[in-house]
Amino acid sequence: MPFGETIGTEWAWVIPALSAAAFFLTVIFGRFLPRQGAYIPVAAIFLGFVLFWYVLRDLLTSGPASFDITWISLGDTRIAWGVNVDRLSVTMLGLVTFVALLVQVYSLGYMKGEPRQGWYFAAHALSAAAMLALVLADNLLFLYIAWALVGLGSYLLIGFWYERREAAEAAKKAFITTRIGDVGLLIGIILLFESTGSFDISTIFHVAQSGGISQGTITVAAVLLFLGAMGKSAQFPFHVWLPDAVEGPAPVSALIHSATMVAAGVFLVARMLPLFELAPGVMLLVAGVGLFTFVFAGTLALVMTDLKRALAYSTISHLGLMMLSLGAFGLGAAIFHLVAHGVSKAMLFLGAGSVTRVTGKTEIWDMGGLRRRMPVTAITFVIGGAALAGIPPLSGFFSRDAIMLAVMDNRGPAFLVVALAAAALSALYMARIVLVVFFGPLKADNEHAHESPLVMTVPLVLLAFTALTVGFIALPWGASYQGFGDFLADEGGFHFEVWLTALTLALALAGVAAGWLTYRTGHISHGQIARRYSGLYRVLVNECYVDDLYQWVVDHVVLAAGNFVALYDRVVINDTGVDGSALTVMLSALRLRHVQTGHLYNYGLAMSLGVVGLVLVWWLVLA
Amino acid sequence: METFNSYVIFAIVSLPLAGAVVLVLLPSYRPRLIRWVATVVALATVLLTFYTFGFYDPEEGGFQFMRQWSWLELPGPWPLGEQGISFALGVDGISALMLMLSGIVMFTGVLVSWNIAERNKDFFILYFLLLAGVFGVFASMDLFFLFFFYELAVLPMYLLIGVWGSTTDFRTFVRTKEYGAMKLTIYLVGGSVLIWIALLAIFVQAGLGTFSFVDLQESADFPRTFQQVFFPFLMVGFGVLAGMWPFHTWSPDGHVAAPTAVSMVHAGVLMKLGAYGILRLGIGLFPEGAQDWMPVLVVLGTVNVIYGAVSAMGQRDLKYVVGYSGVSHMGYVLMGLATLDHLGVTGAVLQMFSHGVMTALFFAVVGAIYDRTHTRDIAVLEGLAKRMGVTASLFAVGGLTSLGMPGLSGVVAELLVFLGLFKTYPLLGVLGIVGAGITAVYILRLMAKVFFGALGERWRDQTDISRLEGFSSWVLVAFVFLVGLFPFPFIRAIDSGVSTLLSRMAGA
Amino acid sequence: MIELAHFQVLSAGLFAIGLYGVLARKSAVLILMSIELMLNAVSVNLVGFAAFVDFTEPQRALGQVIVIFVIIIAAAELALAAAIILRLYRSRSSVNVDEIDLMRW
Repeated sequence: MPFGETIGTEWAWVIPALSAAAFFLTVIFGRFLPRQGAYIPVAAIFLGFVLFWYVLRDLLTSGPASFDITWISLGDTRIAWGVNVDRLSVTMLGLVTFVALLVQVYSLGYMKGEPRQGWYFAAHALSAAAMLALVLADNLLFLYIAWALVGLGSYLLIGFWYERREAAEAAKKAFITTRIGDVGLLIGIILLFESTGSFDISTIFHVAQSGGISQGTITVAAVLLFLGAMGKSAQFPFHVWLPDAVEGPAPVSALIHSATMVAAGVFLVARMLPLFELAPGVMLLVAGVGLFTFVFAGTLALVMTDLKRALAYSTISHLGLMMLSLGAFGLGAAIFHLVAHGVSKAMLFLGAGSVTRVTGKTEIWDMGGLRRRMPVTAITFVIGGAALAGIPPLSGFFSRDAIMLAVMDNRGPAFLVVALAAAALSALYMARIVLVVFFGPLKADNEHAHESPLVMTVPLVLLAFTALTVGFIALPWGASYQGFGDFLADEGGFHFEVWLTALTLALALAGVAAGWLTYRTGHISHGQIARRYSGLYRVLVNECYVDDLYQWVVDHVVLAAGNFVALYDRVVINDTGVDGSALTVMLSALRLRHVQTGHLYNYGLAMSLGVVGLVLVWWLVLA
Repeated sequence: METFNSYVIFAIVSLPLAGAVVLVLLPSYRPRLIRWVATVVALATVLLTFYTFGFYDPEEGGFQFMRQWSWLELPGPWPLGEQGISFALGVDGISALMLMLSGIVMFTGVLVSWNIAERNKDFFILYFLLLAGVFGVFASMDLFFLFFFYELAVLPMYLLIGVWGSTTDFRTFVRTKEYGAMKLTIYLVGGSVLIWIALLAIFVQAGLGTFSFVDLQESADFPRTFQQVFFPFLMVGFGVLAGMWPFHTWSPDGHVAAPTAVSMVHAGVLMKLGAYGILRLGIGLFPEGAQDWMPVLVVLGTVNVIYGAVSAMGQRDLKYVVGYSGVSHMGYVLMGLATLDHLGVTGAVLQMFSHGVMTALFFAVVGAIYDRTHTRDIAVLEGLAKRMGVTASLFAVGGLTSLGMPGLSGVVAELLVFLGLFKTYPLLGVLGIVGAGITAVYILRLMAKVFFGALGERWRDQTDISRLEGFSSWVLVAFVFLVGLFPFPFIRAIDSGVSTLLSRMAGA
Repeated sequence: MIELAHFQVLSAGLFAIGLYGVLARKSAVLILMSIELMLNAVSVNLVGFAAFVDFTEPQRALGQVIVIFVIIIAAAELALAAAIILRLYRSRSSVNVDEIDLMRW
């Protein structure tokens, strides 16, 4: 590597800084440049991806490091911008730079001819910069800042086509839903600051582990932090924003479903895991929420007929799986799955974008047989789907196996049984999506479909290749590398239980087989099943009415409260309290003015009586 | 340089007055000339305020750039020798920042007032009188002149709103400009009565024969009961101006009636006078009274935050939304002051600056929209971003600042306030953060409705904000970013002032 | 022997008559005359005090000076008041104060 000696971990901050600079440059100067400056963010993230390898190399040779500069210092309070380079953050750096790079390159093709594409790429740069800063943050405040900026980036990207009412609403929904979690996160962070006197993550761990904070505070803080993670990572009941977020351009979905927005929540829990581990109840909560989300979203993914919506529920489901893994103390497994899922899901969304761009359709039943017209997209899509379904030797197989192992070790059989069933379910819905969209007869009005240009297919192929191979980082590669779990969190070398692996694999294959029989050969009729359980089917198709419930609450509680207070302020405080007192003065004046008769002798009498009165007072009282 | 430094504050206060005098002499049939003169005066003033803030030395702290002229000598032997009322000017870190805020808002306000066609000479004269009053309050070190300038700032508002304002029919009720102007004036004059009572009580009780703030703070000894009785006079008197619940209704109604530049000054600077008064006079002179009354103020501040935010959610007029959002944000200032904690008070002052710039930006943008569409009804405006891209971006910056997006000014100030609150009133701190969450709801709903979605038919031929208005708004945006990214110079200056004020707290 | 008390009794009597006239009379002309009575009552009082109280030299003539002052003012006032009443009579054909309530609410 050139410059290998001079560029090391201390350069890590440059990676987000490059994208941040690209954001400002594109916004300010983009309009004077070809393609509105779209190449600046791509170049910045490419440089970031290159730098990532230098940082990784230095990390492996010299170990973790951290650096900070003071931002605000006030009395004895010091707030710093700090960077912490350890194995977790470098893993995330790799994932984020890689996926963001490919997504941006793909966007060069996807967004060709779009009128405001300079702004689009700038928002990509902002998202990437924020996420990269988030994974590098060494203190919670800096993390929160990056966290909120990730949300802003997603808001801008989801709402990019703001002329469409759906996109504008989806962006708003994403921001507000995650904002609810953010409120919890901020309260949690400040609570930890008040009890430890520091935002610094390692200091907080140190104080917490040495018993410097009460157990109650730790539990409350961990729950609040988890609230933030639930919002960003779309855990039930905050999942509603993610399916709507597919209203944005497809590459945007690819980015926020894999590397930025939803990864932030999982990363937060992973980063703060030492704190969570001090609160066993919260760990159980994390596992429970994760498991429920895993199952819940999986069933919904099975009935969605909109391609991107189905993929979105699949994302939610897999995020649930990651949370379950974290709740089962499986840090390495969770991050491994985050990487494996991120690569595959980015690819699936890019593939879906390629399909909808060519056919102009979003419903999966309107597609079909597209493998004949779009071979590259089809092959890569199949690889991505298989990876997520857990077919060996693709990445998803290894990560899922590791998670099941962690669940079995730390959460017991009940969790394991449900998780395994849901895993089979995820294989089934993946098979459904892949088979319905790319196999079967080609629809007549899709005859004109064609493969996308190279600038879009090359990222697909690269992602597919990664999805194929990244699983092997789970395996030991010699004495210095004992598997990913050991690399990331010193969890010991790669190991597996034969029966559990076999069972996982069998269930995955069973899921795929069921999908094949249903959606390819037609041995099982999904229509009949839907008719037989029509009540349940209706509930599922309507996404369990969660959205409707929230809408009702917003309309009848939140907005009603707003209208009520606004009315109260006007009618009670202003018109009654303020204008009322003014009116009282006026009315009393109307009565009192009758004293002014206009007759001289009345005034004269009053004056005389006044004088007499004054004299009497002077004489009797004062003298 | 020494001479220049000792006259710079005097120049800041007197430039608007001199500008007003020059404008009186200009013929009213030359509106272009009048505009240019006004712009030049405002530019000179704002540059001087930059100079003051830039060369204020926070390491040294205390009052700097001081200069005083004796105005009235009071006969009689006084403990500190010859005394009287003097025209004493000077700034500490807090007031230097506030002067800069007023300068920025003044300058941008003049720029957005370029399109005032009717009687623009009279408008600028009154506008400059108003600003002279504002500068005078922030720069006065003598309570008598502080009060004098305070009154000077209040009265031109009446004419500015009554003559150049707008009457709005909201179908279920009507708000005339006369109503808005009248209510505002009565409220503020009512507040000033309370303040005047307190000032006279301070003068008599201290027995020093002086209104000098520094002398009173250092040499006067106010018994605790005296402080307890008279602190509320200052708290409510200045609190009215700061939009303290339940004395806030003059503020949204005043905004709705006022012309753009006056809304900017009103929300951006005038409301800060109230908070400044509570801090400088209330906390500065009555530290013990403040300690006893702060639980009340912090509760009122919390009510402000939540009540203002929820109220803003239910409004249908753009200016009402921004007005109630101002009530909500001033709540953070009051909460921060009420903590009496180093971080909290510093955050409150920074919030004063941040909100001043942000709300000026809001009103500039809303004014630009109103000038073009002739409506502020949220239900009617739709999809404006398509035709008014720059306007939408500017509003978005304001909106994101107000909901606490990092990188913009609001979050730094609010964070410091929250840190202070969690030390003193943690539960109310939680409510404060929840209030910031509600802010996100109404701002984003507003943006989604007004700017996004398909372009409404009526607005097909809408034009974007003009270059001049755009420039003035970008100036404000620049400060929003500056404070958001590099808050330290600001915090250092505020800190030097706050430390002095808080050092007199019992137990500090 | 005339003493201070005589002046005071005379003054009080005149004043009371004048006051009664001001309050009870309907005609503006008579009210004006009653006011003159009250002024004169005050003048009598002043002259009495000036004559009987043992003032020091510079203030000796103060009472008389003020009385002359009052007389002059009264004359000027009378001229003005008579003019007003005249105008009133021209416009209303009456000087009855019951009918003159322009200052009424």
